[in-house]
Amino acid sequence: MTLAEFFSCSLLAFGAPLAMFALTIANDPVRIIIMIAAAFAWLLSFLVSSLVWFAVVPLRSHLAFGMVFAVIIQEAFRYGTYRLLRKTEAGLKEISENHNISSNKMEMAYVSGLGFGTMSGAFALVNVLADSVGPGTLGLYSGTEFFFVTSAAMTLCMILLNTFWSIIFFSGLDDKNYLKITWVIGSHFLVSGLSLLNRNQWYAATILPSYLVLVATAVIAFRSAGGTTKGLMQTLAARS
Amino acid sequence: MAYKKIILLLSVVLVIRLSQCERLHEQIYSSIEGGAACFQRLNGTHQAGCKSPMNGAVGVVQMIDDVSDAAWLVNNATAGPYMAVVNTAMFLDVIDLFMLKSDNIAGILIYQNGTARPKTFSQESTCPNEVSSDPASQCPASSGVSWNMGGTGLLRRNIPFPIFYLPQTRIEEIDKINNCFQRYNLDRANQNGKPLCSIQLKSFMFAAVNSEVCLRRSTTSALLTPTKVCDPLGDQNVYFSLFPRGKGVEVKTKPITLVTARIDSASLFDGLAPGAASSVVGMVTLLMSAVTLSKMLPISDSQLYDSNVVWNLFNGESYDYIGSQRVAYEMKFGAWPTFAPMDSSDVKLHVELGQIGGSLNLYSENASWPLYAYAAESYTPVTEFLNEMLTNAKQFNMTLLPVFTKNIPPSSLHSFRRILKNETESGEFPEVLLVDYKDTFTNAYYESVFDDADNIGFVYRNISVGPDGQFVPTSALLANGTIREWDVQVKISRLATALALTLYQRVAGKPYADDVDASAHLADEMLYCFLRSQACRLLLAAAYATSTVEVPVASAAPLYVGVAAQSNTPAIFAGHLLALLAGTHLPLNKTGCDALNKPGFSYYWLRGWNHTGVCMQTTMNFTQAVSPAFLLQDYDMSSGMYSTWTESVWAAMWARVFVSGSGGGARAAALAGAAATLAAALLTYWLSKHADLLFKQPADSIANDAASGSVTGHRYFEL
Repeated sequence: MTLAEFFSCSLLAFGAPLAMFALTIANDPVRIIIMIAAAFAWLLSFLVSSLVWFAVVPLRSHLAFGMVFAVIIQEAFRYGTYRLLRKTEAGLKEISENHNISSNKMEMAYVSGLGFGTMSGAFALVNVLADSVGPGTLGLYSGTEFFFVTSAAMTLCMILLNTFWSIIFFSGLDDKNYLKITWVIGSHFLVSGLSLLNRNQWYAATILPSYLVLVATAVIAFRSAGGTTKGLMQTLAARS
Repeated sequence: MAYKKIILLLSVVLVIRLSQCERLHEQIYSSIEGGAACFQRLNGTHQAGCKSPMNGAVGVVQMIDDVSDAAWLVNNATAGPYMAVVNTAMFLDVIDLFMLKSDNIAGILIYQNGTARPKTFSQESTCPNEVSSDPASQCPASSGVSWNMGGTGLLRRNIPFPIFYLPQTRIEEIDKINNCFQRYNLDRANQNGKPLCSIQLKSFMFAAVNSEVCLRRSTTSALLTPTKVCDPLGDQNVYFSLFPRGKGVEVKTKPITLVTARIDSASLFDGLAPGAASSVVGMVTLLMSAVTLSKMLPISDSQLYDSNVVWNLFNGESYDYIGSQRVAYEMKFGAWPTFAPMDSSDVKLHVELGQIGGSLNLYSENASWPLYAYAAESYTPVTEFLNEMLTNAKQFNMTLLPVFTKNIPPSSLHSFRRILKNETESGEFPEVLLVDYKDTFTNAYYESVFDDADNIGFVYRNISVGPDGQFVPTSALLANGTIREWDVQVKISRLATALALTLYQRVAGKPYADDVDASAHLADEMLYCFLRSQACRLLLAAAYATSTVEVPVASAAPLYVGVAAQSNTPAIFAGHLLALLAGTHLPLNKTGCDALNKPGFSYYWLRGWNHTGVCMQTTMNFTQAVSPAFLLQDYDMSSGMYSTWTESVWAAMWARVFVSGSGGGARAAALAGAAATLAAALLTYWLSKHADLLFKQPADSIANDAASGSVTGHRYFEL
């Protein structure tokens, strides 16, 4: 049962990002470079968060404080990624075989967001996955055996959220639309804050609102990328 | 460390976290501490003991409260395999069932609950060391009675699952398991597909099949890495002679009275072999008797007497008489002991102090102590000795009943009777065995974890020893009420005195007239050292005087013989006690002591009573207690001639409790994962296919990208 747990949780957390990667990124070397760069940016944000956590002793005993700093630092690095990509846009166009590379501004945002999210998801889940191989599961003191599946579902949620957040964030910066940026940072705080409820085993209280935020964020990201209800209707109609 | 903290931080901040900074692993597993595992030993033909699979045995917890639980477990339980948690009182009733139908059993955890002990608890077979016994002995006897009636024989059987033992001091571990069991496993009918409380026991053993195979495997090496899988059992015998012996020491070879006892005991579980009644009482009696006789007959008078006494403590006797087989084997060739060899014809009488102590608790409020003397035939030296011993024992309220039979209880006598068959059968090598039982053991815990100080009713009196090692005489202790007539200390010291008096008569040819006797105070200290704590007065004084003082642990040393490659402490303790108590104190410093080299003696620089170092001259010496089977080239391991026991090597032994999943989480994750992946793939495909329709670019970016866009066919956004 336990190896099954490992593989099914991996599938749940990383299956969707892998499909997105395979269909949209894998065929373009420049996109892969952007994705890896964004993943690296996330790693750097993680390093800085750790240093802050390590250096500021009071942070260690209070999860919420550490969380606040980690969210702020991640968003700062998202902004850094934006600046970097906008600066290197022209250069990337030069080396790209596909000169269409940034025909849509949001394309780079999507690719970097997926990289950012995948790396955060990988680091978030790797500990849990290591223990999911068993033979035991949670329940001796507290928790249930559904801890692993909820962890994986939360990880998937965070990966997708990061992808959409990057789209909204980049679009907000492009348009000087600070409402979008506020939404990104606000919902990041909200979802991370919700995850603190897990210490009480209120898994549903974390998962359901997080996925609601995900849906809202997905809609905003769709619109930020230039999608409209009209366009959607047209496409659906054209298909039928 | 920093790395772990970083990982921790991330888990905390970004995804689901559990409470207050605990690693997930610690939330899932709780290790069961303080357990002792059953391990594996092998002989020439079989493997015996337990082993778990490489990754440990996992089983669903089932507390066994009565036999019906056990019956349900082996016959009707479906969510198996199971880990049976049994208390010691129940163990004897259920173990046969588990051994018989072991398919559903992953392992057993035995625990001791409360101070009440089971009626019998012995993992030795009903006829200990049966295969190495004299063929003339009969066990079980024709009446159906065997020596160790309550023995399960697990020590000699191949157990198909691991077994761990938890002592009373670790009862909180059982409470932990029981809590988990009560929460998850009570609904017996619906255990399948539910999360269940489980235990994992790991005691993987490297050796397999039998000694021959594992020793052969141990000599091979894989890629220059030696792969040792088993080691022969063995240790050291302790030798001590009343007067110095050997070439150039004696003018002519003196006839010898050989007095022996055994050091070692055994137990199914690693590190738990207290052996109080099984061996300690016999060993302490021998040590005290030797000390007393050496006071009665000082070494300086050795020229006056034409007879000598050799004391020997055998090690490894629990495993087919390793120590005595080695001695008998070497004696057969006139090669034992190597530093002063004797011939079997030099031995005029062999007296073995067998298992005495089992009946001490039966006579706990009674000064009498019935003993039995087993001998194959009533040869003259035997009857002479018995008459003398009887007289001496009588004055101490002890009775000694001779039993002349070929059916001799388990003891080193069997080794001599097999290996020196001609000498023993013709009466040239007469033997007698002193025990405190007849037909069957009085010790219900023979070679088990319960054969401890309580089994012989020993209560430490903690009387201070004089500055130069003077012990308070028994009579003074009895007079001031510190100790009572029926205390084990008194009984053992009196038996030691009686034996010393008898041996004095044999050596000197006249009854002893002076007032030296064995002190109950010394017995008190010795028993404390071997049964309660190695950090005792005697052993501190008898340790090597080194610059760095190691404080020994405050628990008794297990008496299991262990592997020959490592020397165990009990034999060394016994030897050093003889050196300290029966040796001659020379007024020398360490350098002078080390320089001495008088034939017939060894010199030990011990800490002494005031811990400043003393030079002891002694005839004590150590001889190897390794079975001849491992010395002989081309010895046929399956012949059963000599002990072939080896002990498997292992890497780790641990136990932990946790909840095992029903698989519901895995199924949910698999379904959700498949659905999410499929949905993401379809949606992404659809979005990227219709990107140009869906995503309208703001006017300025269309203008910017118009040129390049036209080249590639108006794909504004390619996902």
